[in-house]
Amino acid sequence: MSSTGTWEAVIGLEVHVQLRTQTKMFCGCVNHYGDAPTTHVCPVCLGLPGSLPVPNEEAIRKTILTGLMLGCKIAPVARFDRKNYFYPDMPKNYQISQFDDPLCAGGGVGLDPFLFPKEIQDTEEAKAGRTIRLTRIHLEEDVAKSFHFEDRSGIDFNRAGTPLMEIVSEADLRTPGEAFAFLGSLRQVLLSGNVSDADMEKGQMRCDVNVSVRPVGQKEFGTKVELKNLNSISGVRRALTYEIARQIAACRKGEAIAHETRRWDDEAGATFTMRTKEKAHDYRYFPDPDLLPVRTDQGLMESARAELPELPAALQARLAKDFGVTAYQASVLASDRVLCGYYEKAAAGTTHKAVVANWILNDFLATQPDPATTPVEPAFFAELADLVAGGTINSAQAKKVFAELMTNPTSPKALVKKLGLEQISDSSALGTYCDEAIAANPRSVEDYRAGKTNAINALKGFVMKKSQGKANPVQVDEILKAKLSA
Amino acid sequence: MSLAHETLVSLRRRLAAKEIHPRDIVKDLFTQIDAREKTLHAYTHLNRESALAAAEKADLSLPLGGIPIAIKDNLNVLGDPCTCSSKILEGYKAPYDATAIARLRQAGAFFLGRTNMDEFAMGSSTENSALGVTRNPWDPTRIPGGSSGGSAAAVAGRVALAALGSDTGGSIRQPAALCGCVGLKPTYGRISRYGLVAFASSLDQIGPLTRTVEDSALLLSALAGHDPRDNTTDLRKPENFLTKPDGSVKGLRIGLPKEYFLPGMDTETEAAVRAAAEWFRKNGATIVEVSLPHTPAAIAVYYILATAEASANLARFDGVRYGRRATDARDVLDLYQRSRSEGFGAEVKRRIILGTFVLSQGYADAYYRRAQKVRGLLREDFEKAFAQCDLLLTPTSPEPAFRLGERNQDPLKMYLADVFTISTNLAGNGAISLPCGFTQSNLPIGLQLIGPRFGEETILRAAHAFEQAHDFWKRMPPS
Amino acid sequence: MAAPKLNVSDVAALARLTLTPEETEKFSAQLGQILGHMETLGQIATGHVPEVTPPAQPALRKDVPTPGLSVEAALSNAPAQANDLILVPKIVE
Repeated sequence: MSSTGTWEAVIGLEVHVQLRTQTKMFCGCVNHYGDAPTTHVCPVCLGLPGSLPVPNEEAIRKTILTGLMLGCKIAPVARFDRKNYFYPDMPKNYQISQFDDPLCAGGGVGLDPFLFPKEIQDTEEAKAGRTIRLTRIHLEEDVAKSFHFEDRSGIDFNRAGTPLMEIVSEADLRTPGEAFAFLGSLRQVLLSGNVSDADMEKGQMRCDVNVSVRPVGQKEFGTKVELKNLNSISGVRRALTYEIARQIAACRKGEAIAHETRRWDDEAGATFTMRTKEKAHDYRYFPDPDLLPVRTDQGLMESARAELPELPAALQARLAKDFGVTAYQASVLASDRVLCGYYEKAAAGTTHKAVVANWILNDFLATQPDPATTPVEPAFFAELADLVAGGTINSAQAKKVFAELMTNPTSPKALVKKLGLEQISDSSALGTYCDEAIAANPRSVEDYRAGKTNAINALKGFVMKKSQGKANPVQVDEILKAKLSA
Repeated sequence: MSLAHETLVSLRRRLAAKEIHPRDIVKDLFTQIDAREKTLHAYTHLNRESALAAAEKADLSLPLGGIPIAIKDNLNVLGDPCTCSSKILEGYKAPYDATAIARLRQAGAFFLGRTNMDEFAMGSSTENSALGVTRNPWDPTRIPGGSSGGSAAAVAGRVALAALGSDTGGSIRQPAALCGCVGLKPTYGRISRYGLVAFASSLDQIGPLTRTVEDSALLLSALAGHDPRDNTTDLRKPENFLTKPDGSVKGLRIGLPKEYFLPGMDTETEAAVRAAAEWFRKNGATIVEVSLPHTPAAIAVYYILATAEASANLARFDGVRYGRRATDARDVLDLYQRSRSEGFGAEVKRRIILGTFVLSQGYADAYYRRAQKVRGLLREDFEKAFAQCDLLLTPTSPEPAFRLGERNQDPLKMYLADVFTISTNLAGNGAISLPCGFTQSNLPIGLQLIGPRFGEETILRAAHAFEQAHDFWKRMPPS
Repeated sequence: MAAPKLNVSDVAALARLTLTPEETEKFSAQLGQILGHMETLGQIATGHVPEVTPPAQPALRKDVPTPGLSVEAALSNAPAQANDLILVPKIVE
């Protein structure tokens, strides 16, 4: 599978996802990024003396929904725990998280072949269709944001207390490409459920990686290294590629791999040891006495289930089956629900659904439209497909109609009339054009009759030019062939 | 007679009848304060101007209209200092009202000042205050109890009409017993803890200290009820605690837990409490002997769980966002270590270390998790006992007030004196302490009545009947 | 379970406290005594632990914004601030 000889990598991911809620996890402060510092704070998220947390029902619901979408088992009773450590971005110097009784356990993320890096989509690795198992999904609160200056740091507590969902995978991943696909596939599921926008570059999804190597066939895991400071999905892939190579090279030399945390430097293209901590953290987890256990079987499960969307895999299958689009097109549509909705509306009006897909995904998308607000009605594409299929216009003419449609969004039928583009399908008129073409191109006629079948194209071109592009190409082909073989 | 000597109920009646004005009450209280505070030192902060201003604007149609209350220094009152009698919160001003405070305001009450306490509510004598000790109004060489020592001394010493305190292991009831006033710890979940600086989250409760049981019921009514800001508050609608009790205790089954009456008890305490039990029996109650078999483990369970929770609750005091910050810190670690080490007193440090230890890797199972299990057994003890009786009757404190300085070098001995009060917090039940006698040296002795969870109505009815049949509540400390 | 050696300095470090040598000695003795008392727990049978059923459902919070603190109020007790940020010594990763 990998090109690294007799070694294989073992990779696990820990993903933190910012939830799309109006308010924070344990208080009613606004959950919004990018506003002036210290403008979304209260005694609770500042950790002032006397403050108490109260859980955000919507954050819990979204976490349950994520668990349902990923096939997890949802705990009937979930609890919050305190994770104790000191850091300036921690308002209470403990983080409210979940340890013993998380909301979700198990589940898995299917690797969408089209979400592998483009260069390797055609490989066995991408086509394998693996599902990466998850260990758990739990809910916790995010920390504040620090800014570092020359001789001091400043902390903005707007982000402190915002809801964060932690998704932990089993160490099932084997390549950087799979990690890339995992993050993309997970993101699609999260988008489909309106759980998070999960854009890594905006910090809405953060990823830590655990990676080790071992000789192929060995059961025991090698020494695990944690990688941090991964700021994009492709960054994760680059970091893993480097680190795996580093570890294998070291192993080949007989060097020990240090169990440590390394920082990925995208510019330098390498990982570096972070300042090593002397001891592993003793988080002293214990159940948070300020929070009662959450029962999911008293209405939360049902309300989460009611929000279940059509999952990306199911949607793609349905599009391929019922609409006849290609697997690639299905994957593009499934990744943009608004566009997909637009497409489905368009395809509803015609039996030529796959053709409509081509128009929308190739031509329409190239104009960078906003499917939610565009004045180009979906029905126009159905019309356009039918006009071509019915022979009223040919594909070259259809392109002209499309161009006009973009600047003048009205019914294509009307545009055909306006542009005078009706295709000529009358056999006697076409016959006349064909006779003219034959008369004007004796060399091509000779070549064709001598066996060079491509010579017919010159004749076809002559007919098209003479007819100002309106000749029905299928009929022209038939008529020419009939005359030439006569 | 000074208005400072009257009960809330009586003052409310006189205010309504326009016999007196709220400013008269405030003025009398400040006269008493000026005369006695130098000795007592019950207060850490006084609101002279704002109390007078509030008195002028009082809305007498509200249940506590025109009534000034003293507030323990661990409850957030918007704009006032909130120091928890600790150096680490020197200069801290509360930017919000605790829910309990907001509810008192809604009921028309206002705030006279802030009372002294053991630092972060850790202690049983108020000797652990960084702001000086408070003295027992009955004998200034003795402790007032703790941690709500300031509140109890103020009420008993007639420099406050009533006060709020907090009780985690007995911190309302024990000082009430030692100072000779009424102290109520409601059932856990009755009163919102939002705005109470947390010591042990699963044990803390806010409660009133008053001169009479009726006054206690009046305050409880204003304070009780679910708060959306406190996830641990109970959803049930609080009953009316002010239904005129008929004074009868006929038919009540009173349980005496045998583990609370051991040989070697302080003789005067035992005599007074047994006399109280006898009064109940003479007036139609049945006395039953019950058992709370896990009582000997209660101190250990308490000091493991309370310190564990406290070690996390007090982690936020780090000099970063508020409170005292060590000067010229080299780095963040130095800032943490020095701010905390300079800001916390010895008892607080001791408990933080103990609490951190019992949660730490390798020890959490043997200490923290084991203590949680035994806590469940203690709770079960109470439930089984309440199948046989309606109320438990016990002493509040094993002995009357000891002398200042006598015990503050022996923390274990201090801890062991909490034996009669801590189980109630661990089980989550409500309990009251009220005067039931005096020693030869004129020191108050407290009677404790413990009820089933959410059984405050029974507790208050029985306590009121006992109180009104005796003169203990009328006795005043020497001036 | 025998009373363990509580290393006061190590535990204090976890809690970000630094003790003087006198404090360390005093606390070691005092806490040793207190832990000795806790041996009583070891004798209690915890085989049967009563089941605590969680209540029906605690009151969760609806996802609707509620007013917080103004910037001034939020920073009113801050020991050091600038540009509406709370300042601390430089944080090193």
